[in-house]
Amino acid sequence: MNFTYPKTPSEAVAGALKMFGESHVTATIWKLSVAALVVSLAFVFYMLFTEGHAAFNTSSDGVNWGSAIATYVFFALTSSGLTLIASLSTVFGFKQFYPVAKRCIWLAIVTLIAGFSVLALELGHPFRMLWAVPLGMQIHSPMFWMGVFYTIDLLLLIVKFYLMWKDDWDSPFSHFIGNAGFVAVILASGMLGLLFGSMAMRPMWFGSATSLFFIISGALSGAAAIVVSVYLAYGFNPNNVPAPLRSLTLGDQLPKVFATLIGIVLMFLLTRIWVGLWSNIDGMEGFVALLHAPWFHLEVWVCLALPFLMMLSPSMQQVPKWQVTASVLVLVGMFIERLQFIVAGQNVPMFKGTWMNGVTPYTPSLTEWALVVVGISTALALYALGERLFNLCAAPKECMDVAGQLAQG
Amino acid sequence: MAKWGMVIDLEKCVGCQACTVACGMENNRLPGENWQDVIFFSEGTYPSAQLKWFPRPCQHCENPSCMAVCPTHATYKTEDGVVLVDWDKCIGCKYCMVACPYGVRFYTDEKPLVAPDMRKVYASKDDHSWNPPWKMPDAREDWKHGVGIQPHDVVSKCTFCYHRISKAPPGTPDLDPQDPKLREFTPACVVTCAPGARFFGDLSNPESNVSRIIGDKRGVRLLDQLGNKPQVYYVTGDGGAVPSSRAINKKV
Repeated sequence: MNFTYPKTPSEAVAGALKMFGESHVTATIWKLSVAALVVSLAFVFYMLFTEGHAAFNTSSDGVNWGSAIATYVFFALTSSGLTLIASLSTVFGFKQFYPVAKRCIWLAIVTLIAGFSVLALELGHPFRMLWAVPLGMQIHSPMFWMGVFYTIDLLLLIVKFYLMWKDDWDSPFSHFIGNAGFVAVILASGMLGLLFGSMAMRPMWFGSATSLFFIISGALSGAAAIVVSVYLAYGFNPNNVPAPLRSLTLGDQLPKVFATLIGIVLMFLLTRIWVGLWSNIDGMEGFVALLHAPWFHLEVWVCLALPFLMMLSPSMQQVPKWQVTASVLVLVGMFIERLQFIVAGQNVPMFKGTWMNGVTPYTPSLTEWALVVVGISTALALYALGERLFNLCAAPKECMDVAGQLAQG
Repeated sequence: MAKWGMVIDLEKCVGCQACTVACGMENNRLPGENWQDVIFFSEGTYPSAQLKWFPRPCQHCENPSCMAVCPTHATYKTEDGVVLVDWDKCIGCKYCMVACPYGVRFYTDEKPLVAPDMRKVYASKDDHSWNPPWKMPDAREDWKHGVGIQPHDVVSKCTFCYHRISKAPPGTPDLDPQDPKLREFTPACVVTCAPGARFFGDLSNPESNVSRIIGDKRGVRLLDQLGNKPQVYYVTGDGGAVPSSRAINKKV
């Protein structure tokens, strides 16, 4: 894939349109994801205009936040994780991670946009939000601060990507933006965790550990996303991967980072379950319900424990097909985790159920599933656009040389 | 400034739901979407079972968690102690519903709780979510205070009938429906309560009837351990209890 990367906005638009007639992997992803986005968005808009939010299976009596919020959290935290992976090189000086930095920043932008898009379609009044939140200045609300930090995060990501596009990797300003972005993303994902963790009345969510869990598990889904996207960009053929990038993906460093993150997330999940089953405060019964849910077991055993073993195994950790398999499983597992976390925190009724103690059932409606497709297809379409227009594997020349020598040696 | 509060005497409440109906008529509620509800449940197993009931309006908390989480200040507390929703500021994020421990908040656009869907039977031609055949006069509608038929995609809840109590003569210790001069300022559920189980007045006035009942009869608050400090008190009498302090049979 030797693209001629556009230099001006009009060339970029022409390049995006031209992709409809091209026949490489990126163009195929672009065409399929744009088609999926158009269809799913049309369906969601039709349902919102005809049924309103009644098309969702959420209710005042039980689960108020459903799969749309889970999808937003999944994408927002994946974006944060991708920024953290980029920070390994741009902030902490691990130069071997430079070949994925630009791709990470672009993916962080597109996943955040995908998350915000889904959130906007879930809100009753998304346009009112634009003035009511800044004018409201409700500084006690974790949601207010989440909005502030994620907005700053997005702006810094865009500036950083622009600097990388202009090959500015090392100027003091570029370093400042990278450092500020790292602080912003920790605050943003941590505050997203506090949005749930502040809820003393919902013990399954409560506690500052929720913030830490969101940051760490976000890093995990970011790591999985970057592995999948690198191979996706080269048609899942490791021979197509440029040498500097190959040294990173096919060496043992990325699998080790990956396995460590999976291990920490697994530990978090297991200790949470332990505390949940042991404690008898009202509302913790949701943990028993979690153990009865097949999705939860799919998440823990198939989507986390299995990839953990694969990335620990010396015979599998550096084999591309197992890396991709592990990454896809982790991404699926993280999506299930977001959904389970949000739903389980709500489906034990706090007040109405104190005498019944049942669990409110919740299954996403077709419109809610279409919103999930909107999120995924938005992210994939924008990813393909970046791949085609912005040379995502660019890195500082000296890093590429060093990494290239490592690959050959 | 008064600090309005309510006392509900569980020994007097007969579970007739008149309060629920009066609230629905007064505030133009959709069928099934009760700002004020009397919740029925059973305790024990046959032959030692009992049918119980529990009236539950919005608790109008002293420290409302719904207000603290609202990102736009759409949920706010008035100087006279009432928690309200400004429908012109609500963005429909539902965070307040997630944060309310009492389950008293409702989102407008959801699957109908009762068939047929009255929003379609009495469809609105403007910003209102429906156009019921009986509704309060337009002059009383007040979206800034969450009063009237709500618009689309916002959160609504009990206002303590703010359109009535806010017009009460200043300094009134109790809004007693037995007093003809105060009746029109008293919340609809209190006016209609046949056994006289509900009392409404100024909690900040130690001479008010509500303050006396709470002190004399040991008024308790629902889920008090969460720190929201409701301004709705329950009088339980000998052996009575609010749901959170009852023994329960766990079943998940």
